[in-house]
Amino acid sequence: MDAFLASKRQFLDWLRHTAADTETFFPQPLGEASFQFARVRPDSPLRLEDWDSGTPREAFRASANPVPPGKLLSPPGETLFRFRRDPDGRLEFFPVLDDAPRIIAGIRPCDLHAIHLLDGIQSAGVPDPHYLSRRGHTTLIAHDCLQPCDEHCFCDAVGALRQRQGADLFLTPMEDGLLVEVLSEKGAALVEGAGFSPCGDREARLAWAEGQRARPFGRPLPASPEAIAGILAGSGASPVWREHSERCFSCGTCNLVCPTCYCFDVSDDIDLAAPAEGRRCRTWDGCMLPDFAQVAGGHDFRPGTAARQHHRVARKFQYLPRQMATGSHCVGCGRCGHQCTVDIDIYDIVKDLVERAGP
Amino acid sequence: MSASPLVPFPARLEASEPLSERERLFRLALPAPMSHRPGQFVMVSFPGVGEAPISIACAPRDDARLELTIRRVGSVTQALHALEPGRDLGLRGPYGNGIDTALLAGQDLVLVAGGLGLAPMRSLIQALLARREAFGRLILLAGFRTPAEALFRTEYPDWTAAGMEVHALVNRTEHQPWEGQEGLVTEPIPHLGLDPGRTLAVLVGPPVMYKFVVLELAACGLSSEHIFVDLERRMKCGIGKCGHCQIEDLYCCRQGPVFRLSDLETRREALA
Amino acid sequence: MKPRIAFFDMASCEGCQLALLDCEDIFLDLLELVDIVEFREALSETSPRIDIAFIEGSIHREMDADRLRGIRARSRLLVALGACACNGNVQARSNLYSPAGNLGAVYGPGDRDRVQTDPEWWPLWAHTRVRPLRELVRVDYELRGCPMVKEEFLHLLKRLLLGSLPHTAAHAVCVECKQQGNECVFERGETCMGQITWAGCHAICISHGYRCDGCRGLLPDANLAAHRALMRARGLSEETIEDRYRLFCSHEIDRGRP
Repeated sequence: MDAFLASKRQFLDWLRHTAADTETFFPQPLGEASFQFARVRPDSPLRLEDWDSGTPREAFRASANPVPPGKLLSPPGETLFRFRRDPDGRLEFFPVLDDAPRIIAGIRPCDLHAIHLLDGIQSAGVPDPHYLSRRGHTTLIAHDCLQPCDEHCFCDAVGALRQRQGADLFLTPMEDGLLVEVLSEKGAALVEGAGFSPCGDREARLAWAEGQRARPFGRPLPASPEAIAGILAGSGASPVWREHSERCFSCGTCNLVCPTCYCFDVSDDIDLAAPAEGRRCRTWDGCMLPDFAQVAGGHDFRPGTAARQHHRVARKFQYLPRQMATGSHCVGCGRCGHQCTVDIDIYDIVKDLVERAGP
Repeated sequence: MSASPLVPFPARLEASEPLSERERLFRLALPAPMSHRPGQFVMVSFPGVGEAPISIACAPRDDARLELTIRRVGSVTQALHALEPGRDLGLRGPYGNGIDTALLAGQDLVLVAGGLGLAPMRSLIQALLARREAFGRLILLAGFRTPAEALFRTEYPDWTAAGMEVHALVNRTEHQPWEGQEGLVTEPIPHLGLDPGRTLAVLVGPPVMYKFVVLELAACGLSSEHIFVDLERRMKCGIGKCGHCQIEDLYCCRQGPVFRLSDLETRREALA
Repeated sequence: MKPRIAFFDMASCEGCQLALLDCEDIFLDLLELVDIVEFREALSETSPRIDIAFIEGSIHREMDADRLRGIRARSRLLVALGACACNGNVQARSNLYSPAGNLGAVYGPGDRDRVQTDPEWWPLWAHTRVRPLRELVRVDYELRGCPMVKEEFLHLLKRLLLGSLPHTAAHAVCVECKQQGNECVFERGETCMGQITWAGCHAICISHGYRCDGCRGLLPDANLAAHRALMRARGLSEETIEDRYRLFCSHEIDRGRP
């Protein structure tokens, strides 16, 4: 597939231009110290200057982005179907599938890896057409990391740093701009007519970038993801769970900011002006929330924050990797640790477990 | 077929009759026959309020009819209880593995049901009695708190007549008429004369019941490979996506809700 | 027949009823579905039988308690409307002091003594303790918040029309902050009660640049010890922390959890 060269300015101008026709998202500042994947408007403050320079105040940092880009594929409160009841009591259901074209640009490899894992989950068994329809109509533009985002990052330790699969276009920062690699037909169609210069020395440029990449990259873990899965399988009685959850609020933040969490609840609503009509919506849910494993009548099959913390971590490192035959479902973005107000960090939990398990 | 497995189809409520103070039997007419196994469940919608997982209470049938026993316990079931016959509710499914009656052929079967557990058990009972000759002894132990809570009481004589040993028990009669025994559902087990070499057990009820029933069955020589349990979880999707029904690495809605006890022994969340 | 709904106010600012009148965009649709039979802010009819009674305000005096019991007796469903009715709101903080002390602090010692001895005045001041409705009567549903949230009110009404009650998940405000895509208040160096407060407000204060002060009350399993430690670590004094908790949640702090 083709590769092009573009200056950062040229790329962002093209992105703004593209956003006039297609709903496009790019990381933009949120509040005082955060980022959001927001709609690109003619006057949006888009930056790429510091993304690879290791000066993290300006660069988009995954851990400082509370809503990961993959959540655009499962928005909170998405309508699954509408219904109507006629006066005789007959019901009709009308599925709602979102097929609007979208572009998500500026995705870091950890978040790209997360979307790739979600693609697998939502296609497996009984596929979820709501996710897959939105996903099928979305173009992903990822951006390589030559420096870790910040002190929360551990993507390399869980095998997420080298993710390219799933992206339609892949950007690598160069001394003279960006290398724009086309990784899919969708990417080729999108970039056609962009006016970027064809690149004749892709391999040499990729080698240069690899030479620039920080080593070690982010926080290391003392065991491989596979070894961690094994340690987790025997960790039910470990005091680690209690120690790392005594200060937990069960607020669910770690679930909701996680790029590979996808659990949901459903809720119905009716139209006040036409009470025989309404819709069913899907809302984000999380296994750290206190009622998640409760059944009708109130019995809780996973009571207490320690048991829930165990479930959350085991699901990322043990249950889903085995079920889906993949690597770790924790992508090392650092969001859960950064966004937790009492600094409960999945990295610390796993490190603690490994160290206590001994050699 | 709908464009989404999360979208129900309409099913008409033909009749709804009270079984106890909290439970009603719903007779539904479906747009097409539903092929299901005993132990499977459906997702039942009252659109505008929500959806709940409900066990199927009848054997598979080819006349596009379905029976569900629904306990009034939350907002959805409360609305369903108030639904008038002739009106539609929403249905999806069937979901879960259910129990393959072919696996039970030639065996003596002990069926232990506690409370509402007799509803999914009734699906199995009907399926077994329809091919009575294919099985050995059929023994039902059905336990309830009081006679007023005893489900399907009028059907016990028919089940007995069709060749099943029926032991219906209540914890206390509370001075209500009761044709069965008084006591716990575990009490008859030592006196059944079970042959552990050719006996399988199927348990449907609250988790607290499983613990004591399993102890009694073990005392009769039944191993955990020969005991099936039906687990209740709060499924929200039925297709292994929403995450609510997970028992550690297992999805109750896909790998269950009927499990071999031996597959659950290392999983602390299963019978907690 | 349309359900007959009524509104009553006890000790409150009546802001919840005003919030309701603020629903003018849907009010006509609403009147298609229900009959409003008592509503002091809007009309003055009284009705002997009520399907759903919405009661705003907390209970301070025995005469209010009697009135509440009377409303309960003629209502099929009783809904506590707003923070005062649900958990005593800011006025519950007066429970820390004696009624006479409160009177003196507000009106001075002269009026304090007069209203406590003058038989014309004292029944009005025969103040015992600030109580939320659920301490006196069975409450079928609680619409939390100061003021109550319009969407929650409508949601409740819709569910009642369908023959059901809503399920309110005991989730922290953090859940709704994430749904709204907000930056965490702690991220900008400030403190917030969102982690220990009932959600349902769509994190409205944080979405508008403020913090959560807990007006919807403490979650049933709120980890107050951890929250207190966090507030200390963020440099708040014990006095400030106590003030923050007691602003809206004084009754819950004193009486244990809801």
